[in-house]
Amino acid sequence: MIQANDLSKSYDQHEVLKHISLTIPAHQVVAVIGPSGSGKSTFLRCLNGLETITGGSVSINNHLLKATDKKKTRLKTIHEIRQDTGMVFQQFNLYPHKTVIENVMEALIIVKKQSKSTAKTVAAQLLKRVGLQEKEDVYPSKLSGGQQQRVAIARALAMEPKIMLFDEPTSALDPELVGEVLKVMKELADEGMTMVIVTHEMRFAESAADRILFMADGQIVEDSEPKAFFAQPATERAQKFLAKVNEF
Amino acid sequence: MDLVIDNLPFLFKGAYYTLLITVVSMFFGLIIGLITAIARLKGNRFFRTIARVYVSIIRGTPPLVQLVIVYYGLVDYGIELGALTAAYIALSINIGAYVSEAFRGAIQAVPAGQTEAALATGMTEGQAIRRIVIPQAIRISIPPLGNTFVGMLKETSLVSVIAVTELLRSAQLLIAQYYVYMPFYLSIAVMYWILSTAFTFILNEIEKRLSVY
Ligand SMILES: Nc1ncnc2c1ncn2[C@@H]1O[C@H](COP(=O)(O)OP(=O)(O)OP(=O)(O)O)[C@@H](O)[C@H]1O
Ligand SMILES: [Mg+2]
Repeated sequence: MIQANDLSKSYDQHEVLKHISLTIPAHQVVAVIGPSGSGKSTFLRCLNGLETITGGSVSINNHLLKATDKKKTRLKTIHEIRQDTGMVFQQFNLYPHKTVIENVMEALIIVKKQSKSTAKTVAAQLLKRVGLQEKEDVYPSKLSGGQQQRVAIARALAMEPKIMLFDEPTSALDPELVGEVLKVMKELADEGMTMVIVTHEMRFAESAADRILFMADGQIVEDSEPKAFFAQPATERAQKFLAKVNEF
Repeated sequence: MDLVIDNLPFLFKGAYYTLLITVVSMFFGLIIGLITAIARLKGNRFFRTIARVYVSIIRGTPPLVQLVIVYYGLVDYGIELGALTAAYIALSINIGAYVSEAFRGAIQAVPAGQTEAALATGMTEGQAIRRIVIPQAIRISIPPLGNTFVGMLKETSLVSVIAVTELLRSAQLLIAQYYVYMPFYLSIAVMYWILSTAFTFILNEIEKRLSVY
């Protein structure tokens, strides 16, 4: 379960997230949408401590991270939170100096202290799950964007997270490669993974998400069911945003 | 020419010392450089400052002055080092500063997303640096390091002033004995050139080896 309480984030004077409060129960799939610069990535990154929150608190599976925490407490909590969360980035961020299977094995060996052979078995299974078993020994640079992103998903899943965070996982992909990544994500959602997905894929958001968060100017402006949201957003901001997206 | 051939063993011995000093100083310089680079990028204010001041002093003073300070200067404080040891120490400290600059640039050239991906999988900052950032940074740093090392090879000629019989001093000793200059100076120039070329070649090979991805 994810809980944000009065969560704020500022860079110097610039307040990027403004007093966000919400609860995401386990197994829920949440799509976060909104205009560029509205704070979607920042929000996501505050959930696993890649950004330091400057106000309020975040709680991930009862690991409570407060803005007022001392550095030592904060690092400890963030470390625990990251054991429970996986993250997938827009630019994949695969390790270029490691093969596909080594990318997936790395954290198993370093963080979970598994033996190489155990890690290898686990990694091979995950690669099979994302349909890349025959790419185990190639380097990421030899893969298409869609394949790279699937490896990145396998890498995140290796740590057996309870929550998966996705930051525009398909935005860097050629249109014909988007589908294969969304398919893997849909399967994850169907298996009951708790997911927070920042995305511009409105159709995917509508069909795969249980809930839509529409962000603008660092706030969650709308929080609604996909059907209701896409049929008729409540706010003018969201209506304008959807109209713009639908132009394309 | 005959003089040179007759004295080749002596010159080779000089070349051996040149190479030895280069390799040993390079080795310790790499360690010092890596620690300094990490201190500058990830250390607290105290270590950052120390590292910055160190690099600034070394880069802002002539290596010859550094060498005589270590060899002659320290004697005032009762520290008497052998000439070779002094050479190792002075040159390691010297090259460490330049290596740290090469590493620092290379570490900064590794995209932030690499560290973030590693942290997101639960690695600590230290694990992310060791396992993900440094291996990539090393590859990026090879061309600038290559330049540093070839520069270093040539700089070892400085230690002739503290009576280490490396290449330059071997030639000087032979000159003092035979009263001819050019053959000896030319032969050591050729030897320096061969060593530099071999170095460059090896580094290129290492770079190729590391470029499998
Ligand atoms: N490191 C930073 N320093 C200063 N300002 C930042 C930093 N990172 C983000 N911001 C600012 O925070 C705001 C929100 O950025 P964020 O990346 O969260 O937006 P986003 O909704 O993810 O946008 P996009 O759809 O373009 O990815 C922007 O105005 C951005 O300029
Ligand atoms: Mg973003």
